[in-house]
Amino acid sequence: MGPLSGIRVADFTWVWAGPHATLQLAHLGAEVIRIETLQRPCVTRLLPPWPDGVPGPNRSGYFNQFNQGKRSIVVDLKTPEGLDVARRLVACSDVAAENFAAGVMDRLGLGWDVLRALNPRLVMIALSGYGAYGPEHEFVSYGPAQVPLSGMSSLTGYRGWPPMHVGISYGDPNGGIHGAFAVLAALWHRERSGEGQYIDLSQWETTMAVLPEGIMDAVMNGVAPERNGNRDPLMAPHGIFRAAGDDRWIALAIRNDDEWRRFVNAMGAPELADDSRFATLAARKANEDALEELVTAWTASRSPEDTTALLQRAGIAAFPAMSNRDIFEDPHLRARGFFVELEHPEIGVRRHLGIPWRMSGTPCAVERPAPCIGEATDYVLGEILGLDTATRDDLRARGVVA
Amino acid sequence: MTVAPPTPARGALAGLRVVECGDGVAAAYATKLLADLGAAVVKVEPPGGDSTRRRGPFPGGEPHRERSGLFLYLNANKRGVVLDLERDPDRAALTRVLDDCDVLLSDLPAARLEACGLAWPQLHTSHPALVMTAIAPFGLSGPHAAYHATDLTLWAAGGIAYLNGGGPGTDDMPPLKAFGQQAGFQGGVHAAVATMGALFGRARLGGNGQLVEVSIQECLASILELTYAYWPYMGLVASRLGQKPIQPLDFFECRDGWIYLCCIEEHQWQQFVDLMESPDWAGIDLFRDRLSRGANWDALKIFLQEWVREQSVRELYETAQARRVPFAPVSTMGDLLRSEHLGARGFFAELAHPAAGRLRYPGAPYQLGRTPWVLRSPAPLLGEHTAGVLGALGLDARAVAPPAPATESR
Repeated sequence: MGPLSGIRVADFTWVWAGPHATLQLAHLGAEVIRIETLQRPCVTRLLPPWPDGVPGPNRSGYFNQFNQGKRSIVVDLKTPEGLDVARRLVACSDVAAENFAAGVMDRLGLGWDVLRALNPRLVMIALSGYGAYGPEHEFVSYGPAQVPLSGMSSLTGYRGWPPMHVGISYGDPNGGIHGAFAVLAALWHRERSGEGQYIDLSQWETTMAVLPEGIMDAVMNGVAPERNGNRDPLMAPHGIFRAAGDDRWIALAIRNDDEWRRFVNAMGAPELADDSRFATLAARKANEDALEELVTAWTASRSPEDTTALLQRAGIAAFPAMSNRDIFEDPHLRARGFFVELEHPEIGVRRHLGIPWRMSGTPCAVERPAPCIGEATDYVLGEILGLDTATRDDLRARGVVA
Repeated sequence: MTVAPPTPARGALAGLRVVECGDGVAAAYATKLLADLGAAVVKVEPPGGDSTRRRGPFPGGEPHRERSGLFLYLNANKRGVVLDLERDPDRAALTRVLDDCDVLLSDLPAARLEACGLAWPQLHTSHPALVMTAIAPFGLSGPHAAYHATDLTLWAAGGIAYLNGGGPGTDDMPPLKAFGQQAGFQGGVHAAVATMGALFGRARLGGNGQLVEVSIQECLASILELTYAYWPYMGLVASRLGQKPIQPLDFFECRDGWIYLCCIEEHQWQQFVDLMESPDWAGIDLFRDRLSRGANWDALKIFLQEWVREQSVRELYETAQARRVPFAPVSTMGDLLRSEHLGARGFFAELAHPAAGRLRYPGAPYQLGRTPWVLRSPAPLLGEHTAGVLGALGLDARAVAPPAPATESR
């Protein structure tokens, strides 16, 4: 049983950042209850991938990945009774989480001032692109635009190319995981003081928290590091190199001169160890184009798996650039029990990515697949809020809940 | 600037005692997150110092072990001791430091942990209440557990590198890493989350601690957005080389910098067209909806570039945002340091350090209303607190290894 069992989260979040935060709490054993509406379902319920290409609010692999282990109720928050249901749920929860645009929770009647009066022990987190105040706090923020806004894109890219993306809407999961930590810290404080609190998380700021090498260079020297592809100032070769096969690649990094000697031996070209163009880090950096050509000439005809095995035996950091299929099939991840394969009522068993940590004393496990929309409405109204059957039926009949 | 609150509030994690035994970014970032919310963190370094002391950035580009920007950032709010864990007296001293401690956080390889006397079974016996969090590139078990890794190879192993590149027509360009040491940072923040979980778990374990194992490869795989599920759901490999289904979502050069155009919803595109004063080309059928704009992006991009080139980043950003269109500037580091918004939020924190001077640092990643994030003290000089920490335990610091002499050129 996960260590947070007994903790309840009223989860108003949607898209990725917020759900990613509450996913961590679910992973730790908290009871996470998504409050959803039929009018505006979570964006990710409406996005692919869907099995057989057939859409459906319970069929999205995107939603189903980041909402594992959670429950779902459908409540129309625009009705007074619906609002009352949500407030009562918050009153008996430990955490409330939201990532709407600025002001939405207040307009719904679910702002911090209202909720803390209902529940002084509540920890509430608002995750947003810009934060809850500041001159730009009402600006619209979408995941893909967070990466350039944060400064990450101006530092990322091939040498001489324009600024680039990083492959995922990094500000979302990075904000979400930092948000989970902040909530846990606030719960820790609550255990000792009895007081809840409000957490204002800006994804822009959490992304800057992981860019110190760029920011400190600007602070110290007034300049930013130039975009430099996959290269590194202290390691060479350091890159992702062509391998045999259709769009196959291998990442490798040589950390010192001793590794370089082992590398050229593994390549079957020990004479290169004495080549003055490459013998030291300084020399390899000075001749890096030629160095990378030489590495590519070797890696390009070999499978990335073979090269990885060979280099790892020589004590060198190397690994294939994994595709989603490679991850799915990875024997190591399977042997570690990383994947979650639970029966979902609409789409059967799909292999999902699981929990990236293990605990020896309070093991964490995904207990249930992502919820179909509204699957727990009866459970929440009946068992948590204690409403009798007649009241529940009435709310349902009038469309307040579903 | 972040200033100390009027009544010095205690951090959310005040009272928590943490020892960090690692090297590089992952463990150091995990303990930074704990320290910045009030935990008392002791960082254990080898006599030569942590490798981030050698990484920089450095003022003037001159390597100096007390002036590395990365080290200074990661290790503010911590005390630093030097121990040579190859030596018996130093290992014994570490054991004593752990006596007083709630958490041991490490990213050392498993074999090294064992050699340093930090194997879990023994540690659990000698320190039953201790939570030990071990961050490892591929975890502590499984066929790749002993694999060597760097930040780059992990970024590839987690599947994120494969998703990033130049888009259609750039088949010859390799998958591209994100700037910095993001595998380390993700390992660190995930470890901080799991560590807090384990601390809550002590209540369930009669006060006992437990071993928490964090695999960086798994941390990265678990943030693959919607791309991973394309395989188990549809049998499709997600590729960086394909055309994006929806456009515009791309970088454009203005007359004074770069901007990111982002129109996901139809109304956002309509607002953008209106903002451009509805040029003729915007009305042609090839660009009628977001999917056709994706399919005909090569053509649309040329029209857009011509228009955007004349604009200023800031004006276009603010005009678009006024219409609820989520464009963003491609912020440079200088833009961040000068941002009025970040300034109004007090994001950057300022701190003086005896060797590096007064500097601004990236500040609070979240604002906790009652228990603020605070930068209290600068990163430790190498071995600065060895005597103090050991002395408080009644140990003689002269028994343990001294810091190695500095080697860098001055």
